[in-house]
Amino acid sequence: MRALLENRFAVTAVILFGIGLANMLLQKNLIKKIVGFNIMDSAVFLLLASRGFVEGRVAPIVAEGMADASLYINPIPSGLVLTGIVVSVSISAFSLALVQRIYHAYGTIELDELVMRVKKEAD
Amino acid sequence: MSVVILENILLVGLIVCAISAPLCRHLLLTVIVYMSFSLIMAVLWILLESPDLAITEAAVGAAVTSILFFLTLKKIHALTCTERNQHE
Amino acid sequence: MNKPDEKKSRWTRFSAWVNGKSVIIPEEDLFPGGDLRPAPGKKCGREFCRSAEREGERLYSFLSGYTFAAVVVGVIVIGILMATVMALPRFGQPDNPTNNEVSQRYLEKGEEETGAPNAVSGMILNYRGFDTFGESCVLFLAVSCVFMLLLRDEKNTHPKDLAQIAREEAADDSSRDVILQQVSSMIIPFIFLFGIYTLLNGHLSPGGGFSGGSMLGGGLILYVAAYGSRKIQRFFNGKVYNIARVCGLMLYAILFGYYIFTGANGLPNHIPLSIGGLILPIDVAVGLVVACTMYGFYAMFTKGEL
Repeated sequence: MRALLENRFAVTAVILFGIGLANMLLQKNLIKKIVGFNIMDSAVFLLLASRGFVEGRVAPIVAEGMADASLYINPIPSGLVLTGIVVSVSISAFSLALVQRIYHAYGTIELDELVMRVKKEAD
Repeated sequence: MSVVILENILLVGLIVCAISAPLCRHLLLTVIVYMSFSLIMAVLWILLESPDLAITEAAVGAAVTSILFFLTLKKIHALTCTERNQHE
Repeated sequence: MNKPDEKKSRWTRFSAWVNGKSVIIPEEDLFPGGDLRPAPGKKCGREFCRSAEREGERLYSFLSGYTFAAVVVGVIVIGILMATVMALPRFGQPDNPTNNEVSQRYLEKGEEETGAPNAVSGMILNYRGFDTFGESCVLFLAVSCVFMLLLRDEKNTHPKDLAQIAREEAADDSSRDVILQQVSSMIIPFIFLFGIYTLLNGHLSPGGGFSGGSMLGGGLILYVAAYGSRKIQRFFNGKVYNIARVCGLMLYAILFGYYIFTGANGLPNHIPLSIGGLILPIDVAVGLVVACTMYGFYAMFTKGEL
């Protein structure tokens, strides 16, 4: 139980990932699936960036002449997550564009209606 | 010590937002709760001492993603369906 | 034995879909009332629903099985992840394996080699510059894909839609929201100022190409939302948009190519490290790509053309 409380960021990230995964798999509405996907994204970023944090250290803006590594947190995870956030926005924009085209073509974004109409159109 | 308490509150807030976002009946509520989710994430990045992420998450995650969601809802007529349901 | 024609129909349907012939259900059958977009709750046509029941049972059995499988998969994944979290090193300890010599090298040598006090920007645009170039290409492709999906012109839009869009456009222009215009006329200069500041000071203070670019994109979105697309066409129409996007990516490629071929091989590359070296121009390039991406998404989602 103590380990849970110490790694609270990682635990929260896992819980968020679970919520996002459950929503993405179980939700019927496509928009809610995309929200679930974004929640999973944020969970992964939270886990990554929290691994770089070191207590009692400052943001990695190297002050004049104090280029000593023991003063700053680890810059690598926040570098990774920075590009990740922008890519996750592009992915959700692309999937929302697909949802619009699906609605324009089939008139619904509820998955069960959609599957029936696709099957109906296949016969 | 107070930072740790604030972090715990924000983490609980994150989980509550993540659980309630997809459970809202109306899609507009889902998107609004998701906006608050990425706002809390932006504040968390500040507490994790990475300001770059906070600015990017706030500018990109909270603002642009929500605009795109709202526009999609407008396009699939999910925003107006409340009035249409009341008419029928 | 309908296996071969089942396959044949699937193949013909697939080839029809690939070369773009519309495989959509004829509209009369789908929207019996002739209204092109039914409300989600509206009752569907009579004959359509009878076949729906038959499909319903098969679908129901699929869905319940699927839900059960989804829950099982979800629980297994979360169990594994939670177990690994137990084994993770404690959060925030200086001697964690993640704080190894690589981050020390970035922090200590970062300013000399990249000229950027902001270690994160220095690392993203200089040590990992090639990877961030790939990521800018991802942004470039994302907008191109959204263009392919949502770009609307005479050929691919239903005349009814075109007439409706023209009506919406006229209605929009006549009743521009005065409050939005007044407030945005005050806010937009500050948004652009702050966006440009964040962009240009990416190597000194937190910020940089991505956040500065998205702020500029947000400013453009607010401008179009407040003043309509006709006013933005004066200085930011489709042609300028594409030029800006491609120039941003090419600028990034050329600058970083020059840096890799000269800097990495130890050739004298005359890049003044004292004023931030190559970080500043690359930040501008990334900012251009990100701003155009955000504006492109908005333009495609609202009107379908730039």
